[in-house]
Amino acid sequence: MKALPEFELRSALEARGISRRQFVKFCSTMVATLALPPRYLGAVVKALDQTTRPVLVWLEFQDCAGNSESMLRSGHPSVGDFVLELLSWEYHELIMAGAGKRAEDTLERVLREHKGEYIAVIEGAIPTADDGVYCTIGGKSALDIARRVCSNAAINIAVGACAWDGGLVRSNPNPTGAVGLQEAVPGIKNLVNLGGCPHNPANTAAVLVHYLTFHELPALDHYNRPLFAYGNIIHDQCERRAHYDAGRYVEEWGDEGHRKGWCLYKVGCKGPEATYNCPTVRWNEGTSWPVKAGHGCIACASPRFWDTKSPFYDRLPKVPGFGVDVKAEEIGWVATAAVGAAMVAQVAGNIVRDKIRAKHMPVEENKSSGSSEHPEA
Amino acid sequence: MKKTQRNAEPDAAWKQPAPGHVRVYVWEWPIRFSHWVMVITIISLSITGYYMHAPYVAARGRTAYVMGTMRFVHLVSGFAFLGAILIRMYWFLFANRWSRWNQYIPTTKKRFGNLIAVGKYYGFMAWSPVRYIGHNPMACAAYAVVYAMAIVEILTGFALYSQVLGSKTLNFFVGWIPHLIDIQWIREIHFLIMFGFWMFFIHHIYTAILVSIEEENGLMDSIFSGYKFISEEELLKDPAVEELQESGERATTVQEKNTHTTV
Repeated sequence: MKALPEFELRSALEARGISRRQFVKFCSTMVATLALPPRYLGAVVKALDQTTRPVLVWLEFQDCAGNSESMLRSGHPSVGDFVLELLSWEYHELIMAGAGKRAEDTLERVLREHKGEYIAVIEGAIPTADDGVYCTIGGKSALDIARRVCSNAAINIAVGACAWDGGLVRSNPNPTGAVGLQEAVPGIKNLVNLGGCPHNPANTAAVLVHYLTFHELPALDHYNRPLFAYGNIIHDQCERRAHYDAGRYVEEWGDEGHRKGWCLYKVGCKGPEATYNCPTVRWNEGTSWPVKAGHGCIACASPRFWDTKSPFYDRLPKVPGFGVDVKAEEIGWVATAAVGAAMVAQVAGNIVRDKIRAKHMPVEENKSSGSSEHPEA
Repeated sequence: MKKTQRNAEPDAAWKQPAPGHVRVYVWEWPIRFSHWVMVITIISLSITGYYMHAPYVAARGRTAYVMGTMRFVHLVSGFAFLGAILIRMYWFLFANRWSRWNQYIPTTKKRFGNLIAVGKYYGFMAWSPVRYIGHNPMACAAYAVVYAMAIVEILTGFALYSQVLGSKTLNFFVGWIPHLIDIQWIREIHFLIMFGFWMFFIHHIYTAILVSIEEENGLMDSIFSGYKFISEEELLKDPAVEELQESGERATTVQEKNTHTTV
């Protein structure tokens, strides 16, 4: 990887007021996030000390910049600070000083000078309907930019639900034909998906640190998501789990159970369905996460979660073809009651038939013949 | 307390059929065993499964473990249900003619015609039911649907369990399901089919009582003992046999009758 000459990590961090001690603490946080044994701390510190500051480009397509915000506002001394110093961020629409042609020239320069060396981070979905006219930057469609940038990158990191699988932009009815990066650019190499709405910056930093230390990607699941972050069910790591097993549930918002911190299962928490390391890594320097704050999980790191995990305040999805207020259990109870009523009607009908049978029954049907439709020869 | 003792000798009086009737061993033990395991497990799975969907019992005390217990019972019942279904599936291939697989899918035109005839009886368009020693074609079609539902329940149930368990072995068998359909929809299907079992449950008990009254052949007893009391004439003209033949030729000989008869 091509080094930028002016870089020296230790002095750069000190210039930002980050001490050596804070740097080592950051490294140990990353080791813990990656679920590596503590003995890897030395390797990580050494690798980051010697890093040659690889180039990073951050592309934004159909997004709300929430993942950028999540990265930048992650506390002090923040994960963002470290990552900004570890890597040379050449292009990031939200934070770069340049604009217009100058900014686009920067991206072209990276593609030219650092081909196959830079790290590409993608945020936001990519529209495919009508030749991708719904998202264009500098006259080029998002699809074209993604194809060019991602096929020449050393690694691609799709941050957030939109870049992974289309997210909110792709949710039904998806007028722009939006898809995630791996669908828009099939066969993309060295791709890491970091779903979540937004992504957790600790995980993104951990993936970068893993890459800078070991020069390879962490172990991935079948969605190309790192197993250290997406390998465990939220429910199994939840601090309210004991209330779930005991059978103590929040019945409605603000009731006694809610004030006591009971399980949010009955108000639609999707923790049992979702995988993420939200409960352990948490947000805002490990302060809290949604379920701790008293709101159910909406499974934002699960595939197509806007469509598949809604309604967020009910346990099960709505059955298609019925009204929006009709729950699955109501359909089941009504159908069961209808069968019960039909059986009662059958009983009444059979009593009547039994009473009048002797009068009306044809003689040949009275026999215990095997088949009335096909009489025996 | 006075203890009622039933004479279990082979020639006990209650085993003697009425004149002109024979006592026929219709339901073999795997049928009855799997039937009752399914009954018990469907009830326990419904009670615990509904709790797991919408907890309806308030937990009391500091040591409550309601959901944990419900989940445990649900899992144990689920494995027992799987066992019962597997026994029944195996026995589809080796059962006697009244419980063999070809009874459950109408393979011949005659059997399909009789299915309609049974439907006419339930629709009050016929005076009496088509008499069968085993199951009538409509009952069998219903059971085929129930077994299909059971297989879907088992697959979706194990897909959900695999997510909780994280076992590679279980994932090998059911890991393909969450790729086809989202885990929430797997839950929805698993939940809605429970009501299908309830509907069948109501209907099944009703028809068992109805046909038992109509045919007066010990149908209700037969799911406990396995035996029905059938008239000799009826045994010789078993629709289950006739339906599977091309022509109306009679296949049941007196010899065959004897192989199926125990007195």
